[in-house]
This record gives sequence, C-alpha cells and structure tokens, in this order.
Amino acid sequence: MKPTEKNKKYWNPIIETLPRERLLQIELKRFRELLRWAKDNSPFYGRKLHGIEPEDIRTMEDVAKVPMTEKDELRAAQEGKEPYLYGDLLAVPPERLSIFHQTSGTTGKPVYIPDTYESWQWVVEVWCYILYAAGFRAQDRVFLPFAYNVYIAFWQGHYAAEKLGCEVVPGGALDTQGRIQKMKEVKATALMNTPTYGLHLAEVAKEMGIDPKRDLNIKRMISAGEPVPEPTRLRLEEVWGADVYDHIGGTEPGGWGGMCSEKNGLHVIEPHYLFEMVDLETMSKPISPGTKGVAVITPLCRRCIPLIRFNLKDVMMVMDEPCPCGRTSLRVNQIGGRIDDLRKIRGVFFTPAVVEEVIRGQFPEVVEFETILTQEEVMPVLTLKLEFDPSIGEGQYKELRSRIKEKLKIRSNLTFEIEIVKQGGLPRYTLKSARFKDLTKR
Amino acid sequence: MEYDLRAMDREIKLIDESARRLRELGSGIETVEKNVDSILAFTFLLKRNISDVVE
Repeated sequence: MKPTEKNKKYWNPIIETLPRERLLQIELKRFRELLRWAKDNSPFYGRKLHGIEPEDIRTMEDVAKVPMTEKDELRAAQEGKEPYLYGDLLAVPPERLSIFHQTSGTTGKPVYIPDTYESWQWVVEVWCYILYAAGFRAQDRVFLPFAYNVYIAFWQGHYAAEKLGCEVVPGGALDTQGRIQKMKEVKATALMNTPTYGLHLAEVAKEMGIDPKRDLNIKRMISAGEPVPEPTRLRLEEVWGADVYDHIGGTEPGGWGGMCSEKNGLHVIEPHYLFEMVDLETMSKPISPGTKGVAVITPLCRRCIPLIRFNLKDVMMVMDEPCPCGRTSLRVNQIGGRIDDLRKIRGVFFTPAVVEEVIRGQFPEVVEFETILTQEEVMPVLTLKLEFDPSIGEGQYKELRSRIKEKLKIRSNLTFEIEIVKQGGLPRYTLKSARFKDLTKR
Repeated sequence: MEYDLRAMDREIKLIDESARRLRELGSGIETVEKNVDSILAFTFLLKRNISDVVE
C-alpha cells in the first residue's frame, strides 16, 4: 500500500483495503480475545459462556456455536443487580467509567451502556471511518441540530467530526427556526440528522422563506438515529441539494456501518466488528450473501460492557459484489425493517418500512404520515393517516387518496383505510420516529 | 515509498511503553496518571488500526 492521493478517500487505507481473508483472521483473533475477557470479567458472560473455550473458536462455523445475546438478557442482567445501573454486564471496575448512555426504551425498559475513556475513544474512532467514507473532511463546518441528551448517536458524531478536524456547531438549545437561522449564519457545510428531522427542517425552512437547496450551504448530510429508506434518502438529497449518507448503529454496539461515495449499501466497519447473518426461520443458521436474514454483530474492541453475537433483529442482506470504492469490508442492505415490527396481517407479512418506501418515494405531496394497526372484531385493520403539503388543495385529496391506496395495495398486498389529517395534525419527530402504532397489543 | 508497517508498529509500542514508564514515574500525580490514560487510549487505537495488521 503506497501513500497516494487516492488513499485519501480512506480513513485507514491499510485496514479498509485488506483482503477479506486477512480481515477475517484479525476478527477471529479479536473474537477469541473478547470471549476470554468477557468470561473472566463479566459475571453475565461468565455464566453464559460456561463450557465454551475461546481457543476453540477458529472458524465462522465455530463462532456460530457461541450463543447469541438478546436485548432482554441485557435488561435482566442489569435490573436490580450491583453495581447499580450496569449489574452483571460490567466488565471493568465502576471507577473506570467515564460516560453514560442508554437506549431509548422503545421496546421496553432502557438498557444502560457506559464507556471507559478508552472504549469511548474506540466508539468515536469507528465513527471516524463512517464520517470519512461519507466525505466529511477537516474543511467542513458540521451542524448538529439536536440536544444529544443520554442517547449515543449524536455524541459519537460530534466527537468523531471533531477528531476528523471538522468544526462542530452544536445546535441543541435552539428551536427549529433558530437552528435554520444558525445554519445560515455560520454557513454550515454538513449536517448530522435523523432523516425525519431533515425533512422537517426543510419544511420549516420553506415556511420561513428559506429554500435549503438555494439559501443554505449544506453539501453533505449523514443520517443517524433511525434508518433512512432509499426513497427518503433521495428525497432528502432533492430538498437539500446535498449528498445524503446513511449509517447504521445502536447504543449497544455503537455505529457499525456506513455508506461510501457509491451510496449503495452500508460498509461494515471491519475488523472492528464481526458481522454475521442468520436465517429468519431458525434464527441460528448462518446464511450466504444475497439472502435475507437477521443481522448479528460483535463489537470487537469495546470491553467495558462486552457484547457477543448481539441479535440486532434487523432484516438485512449481504451484498455479494465488491464495492467500486475499493473497500473490502462486507456491504449490507437494510431491506426489511426490524423483526419486532414484522406483523402477519390477513396472512401477509407486513413491515411498516413499505409504507415509508411508498410515501417518501412516490408522494412528495405528503409531509407526514402515521400507520395504525387495530383489530375490529376478528379483522385487523390498517389505517394510514396522511398530512398533505399546504400547497395541495382539497380538490386533489380524492385522487391522491385513491392513488396512494392503490400503490400500497400493489406493494404490500394489503388494503389500507386512508384518513386525511389537517395541517400540523400529526406529530413531528426529532429523534426516533414512531410512525407505526400497533393498537392490537393493548 | 511503501508504508513500513513494522516500523510503524515499533513506534506505537515505544509510545505505549514510554507512556507506561511515565505513569510509574508520576505515580500518584493525578494529571500524569489521567493524561497517560488518555495517551494509552490512543495507542490502543493505533494498535487496533495498524499493529494488528502486522503478522
């Protein structure tokens, strides 16, 4: 590997272009080391990995024999256990901890994830790979329109951008209008955002007479906090006139994948992570590229709360062909939403991701939407609430309603009840959106 | 010029060893101990990013 201008497209040209076999060797070695560490230092894994000898793990087939870790287990290992907050998961003395984060608690009680100074620097480092692949450079002035709170996403982004040499402008204490004014004032060139809030910012900017594409200076944007389906990503690119990149991560594993300039799938940040896919039916059998499965991840260098074969419950597919960007890491497509959101309705598998795909991809007239699943007598009913752009006259509602219903039927094989909501009638989200409500679970 | 990974690895190890020696010398001085911890957090990353590639 020679130091050339070309290498400047990589944060780490040595690791990012390693042959796959070598990446895997490093990952397996790190996996063994992590297993040993977890067994010896985390009471939770001491029990869970009883009978497993790290030195016996030599191949991916061996890795698959190690039990997966589920989110519920993390909750149970923390609740009511000492040391307070982290319980049996903690693998370092509590006095070494330097930062606290927690999950949003969308699927139950939050999980608390701390970091030591060292493990936090690793989390930030991994995000440097993500930002660099998305074109963030020292010349950028990066605006973060959020109060980061106890959630990890934007803290990682903030510190990684700082490490890249970017100038970071935290816009948390402002309201949406104030943030738009600040972006204009400082001529921010890059934005970190949830996709939902990216669209909302653009909507509010237009109400203020500011066209994001024409009047602001945003050249690139990275999405965090929630997945960005391709139609939403393209819509963001259109309204902002910027390159929009997705990334993937979570509180428990940290940010583990990101989009490169090809904008085609997400590169797993190898060999910092070991990525696996298991099949949807058995949730254990490894599957080959090109097949839909459930993602399983192991952060290999974060030791304060080790996480071994964490079931992400995201439906994905590994892409088979090498990426023209030259990175040799695995590429994945987030294609099916989360297993937790999958419902069988009238015999058909439904994921709310298809609604977003249809609405964001084909109906720019819709500014906000919400899908509600209810049970009427024996039949489940899907209702889609829609809020149209103020420029859409009521005369157009009937035709739009009918087209949306038809497109949804074609895409999902299900019939939706459509309800039109007045302007501002649906919630706007800044962090994780909740556009799907299952009221049958009451 | 190729990247000399072995030479890079040697320098990373030297920084690491030097930082640990400094901590011993300044044992009990908070500013020494905590700043050495920070240096070691970054040598940890350099090891993961460079040294681990050297076979």
